[in-house]
Amino acid sequence: MKALIKAFSHVYPMAKRWLKRFPGGVYPDYRKGLSARHPLQKAPLPDELILPLQQHVGAPAIPTVEPGQRVRKYEQIAKSAPGLSVPLHAPTSGTIKAIEKRPLPHPSGLPDWCIVIEPDGQDEAGEMPIAIRTPDCPASLKEMIWQAGIVGMGGAGFPSWRKLPDEHGKIHTLLVNGAECEPYITCDDLLMQTRPQEIIAGAVTTAKCLGAERIIVGIEDNKPQALEAMRKAASGTGVEIQAVPTVYPMGGQKQLTEQLTGVEIPAKAHAVDVGMVMFNVATLAAIHRAAEHHEPLISRLVTVSGEGLAEPMNVDTLIGTPFKALVKLAKPKNELNYPLIMGGPMMGHEVMDHKVPVIKTTNCILANPPEPVEPAMPCIRCGECMDACPVNLLPQQMYWHAHAHEWDKVEKLHLFDCIECGCCSFVCPSHIPLVQYYRHAKGEIRKLREQQAFQEHARRRHEAHLARLEREKAEKEARLKAKKEAVKKQTTAAEQEKSAVPSARQRAIEAARKRAQQAAADTPSTEDKRKAAMEAARKRAQAKAGQTAPAAPETAQDKKKAAMEAAKRRAAQLKAQKATQKETNRTEPKTDPAKSGETPSAEDRRKAAMEAARKRAQQLKAKKTTENITDDSVPQTAAATPEDRRKATMEAAKRRAILLKAQNTQQTRSEAPQTESAASTPETDSAKSGETPSIEDRRKAAMEAARKRAAALRARKANSTEQESDT
Amino acid sequence: MSAIIIFTLLAIAFGLLLGYAAVRFRVEEPPIVEEIDKILPQIQCGQCGYPGCKPYAEAVANGEAINKCTPGGEAVMLKIAEILGVDPQPMEDGAEEEKPRMVAFIHEEDCIGCMHCIKACPVDAIVGTTKAVHTVITKECTGCELCVPVCPTDCIEMRPEPETPRGWIWPDPEKILPTAIPRLDHPHP
Repeated sequence: MKALIKAFSHVYPMAKRWLKRFPGGVYPDYRKGLSARHPLQKAPLPDELILPLQQHVGAPAIPTVEPGQRVRKYEQIAKSAPGLSVPLHAPTSGTIKAIEKRPLPHPSGLPDWCIVIEPDGQDEAGEMPIAIRTPDCPASLKEMIWQAGIVGMGGAGFPSWRKLPDEHGKIHTLLVNGAECEPYITCDDLLMQTRPQEIIAGAVTTAKCLGAERIIVGIEDNKPQALEAMRKAASGTGVEIQAVPTVYPMGGQKQLTEQLTGVEIPAKAHAVDVGMVMFNVATLAAIHRAAEHHEPLISRLVTVSGEGLAEPMNVDTLIGTPFKALVKLAKPKNELNYPLIMGGPMMGHEVMDHKVPVIKTTNCILANPPEPVEPAMPCIRCGECMDACPVNLLPQQMYWHAHAHEWDKVEKLHLFDCIECGCCSFVCPSHIPLVQYYRHAKGEIRKLREQQAFQEHARRRHEAHLARLEREKAEKEARLKAKKEAVKKQTTAAEQEKSAVPSARQRAIEAARKRAQQAAADTPSTEDKRKAAMEAARKRAQAKAGQTAPAAPETAQDKKKAAMEAAKRRAAQLKAQKATQKETNRTEPKTDPAKSGETPSAEDRRKAAMEAARKRAQQLKAKKTTENITDDSVPQTAAATPEDRRKATMEAAKRRAILLKAQNTQQTRSEAPQTESAASTPETDSAKSGETPSIEDRRKAAMEAARKRAAALRARKANSTEQESDT
Repeated sequence: MSAIIIFTLLAIAFGLLLGYAAVRFRVEEPPIVEEIDKILPQIQCGQCGYPGCKPYAEAVANGEAINKCTPGGEAVMLKIAEILGVDPQPMEDGAEEEKPRMVAFIHEEDCIGCMHCIKACPVDAIVGTTKAVHTVITKECTGCELCVPVCPTDCIEMRPEPETPRGWIWPDPEKILPTAIPRLDHPHP
């Protein structure tokens, strides 16, 4: 059957695709003979080894050495960063020359942090950094692979430990990738020819640890020597060696898995999810060296090939060796004034600087003199790319959207399932660099996502910033308040100390106030109140007259008393007026409930004003009574000290001022009922009583001020006369 | 008569069904302010005249012009127009070309530790204290430039963020490779 298809393929070349299980694929000119026909060489020790901190997918390693420090072979020089990362080890003994930014073998050509070692040529080995001697379970195997710094050596550079499951027996089949489908590259071929036992031993160890029952090695049938060597090494170990058809990209993980087992790994799933795991032959050899010799990953096989080299070959080289040294070994035909390619011609990328080092993922250095690039022509929708795609995507549709920068639409066409194998670009009759469009689109989408994440992060930070400002403001206010209160307390304490002497008087004032309140409560009818007030006034006046008679010779006291009497009289009047006012007040509430619904604010204000007025009146009453008491009962103590006297006069002045105020309010009150009776609407009423017109207000305020001034003057005079009389 | 009864009953039944469905399966749309806020670049630069992206989002939802976000440029304006269902408005200072992300950099030898920039930073991306050298947390800087004018010694400079291999993406092939494909001015349908 196979022979029949092969015969038919001479007529219809794409018939070869029927030989394999996965779709698509292309048949490039392999040119593997260039390097494969030469024996494996050992690369000489270069002048300096450049070890980038990031040689793998994930986070860069963290240096653990200082410039100037001497390191020995196998010693760890950079530890693994948290997360997806692996440590880095010194490939030989020497001095750390620098930790600086050097150009990397990366498509960007940008420099990044590298540890530069100057070898001393002694190749003195240090202690082995791998603590796990014989891995026997998945966890210990993972630990060992991580400590050895092993990453996928086929080209992707994914840290190998991350591919493994934690549970024993989850993996039933271990797949070994020896396909090596890229043109020119033969390093895996040479490895399989020269060290098949290492690969097999590594595979057996791994399978034992994972509990895998089957081990299948897939090798393309264009490598008969490797197949033979591997079959020999695998005899008696139970490892299956399968020859797979030569087609690009057979070496893709999903493609080879499908070819070997017939299982198609679903999109967005890993091989582990279907109970399989795949390692490159070089990775397994490194695992074997780590398990057997406790050796970290410090060297690898690299193919140095290309049309521009006279002696293409494979070299066993230390990681960190500059490309330039290796290419020189292969004797370039002409001066190398063109960029080298790292990787194969299909998936590799150009490196701008020839001094970039070999890293853990460098499988090939290609020196192909540049060929003229055919300009891209418009897409003719031939559909060749669709047939060639090994993952069943629609390359031309994706191209249209990527061309128009419609990233969401490209993503909907499963852009992230694209393995960037380059088959579509390879077959495109219009020479459109399709895979470049997808790489760009992937980058743009990733960048957009990062930007969105950053935006979200910035938004949260801004909110936190605002919250902090708010909090600080509140704290500041609280502090200020506390401070103010403290100051107030201090001052009040001081005042209390000062007023310790007249505290008796204060007590009397309090008592009087209470009595006054009681009196106000006891006399509900205004008539009664007025009468009582009048009577009280009269009584007081009589008492005064009685008192003033014996104290007649003291003219100053006389004067004062006269003034007080006048005040008292005024107070009595006031009381009477207040009573009338109260009457009006009492009549008002009847209408209030009805009004309250319509004008709550005006009503409230009016009530508040009334309340205030009432309180003031009460206070006034209380003060007056206390005045009577103090003045009547303790005139001697009042006159005893000058301070007391001054206080008394001040109090008198205050009392008078309050009196005046009360009178004023009373005036407005007496006006209010009139307007109320005149105007039926509650609005005007409330406006009159609550918010008295501004002109009136002002006039009253002026009058009050004048009165106050006069009172103060009088008080001063009284004071001075009193003092004079004292002296 | 029976027809009328049947249809009345049907009408009542469907009415109840629809009424129930309207309550049970009501789709709650996210508030428009949140949606606009999500689109805005969150640089918090205040170039729109509002003290941050959220206030501008609120203003836009209440009828403010949608073309005031300079850092967001035309792309953001078009997205807002789409959300609000209004016509796109031309950007005020024409088409702004794409700039690399700028981050503030403090020349530490000139910094006097005055705290002005720290107070101005909307995302608290500057660390330092009184009379101590300040520095910018590059990872957190949004490039709003609010710290530049407040510095009394002019020691803050906006620099493009350094490019690293990790942040690098493959370039647009149309910009680097020879092509005979006519550039599309209008997106392909």
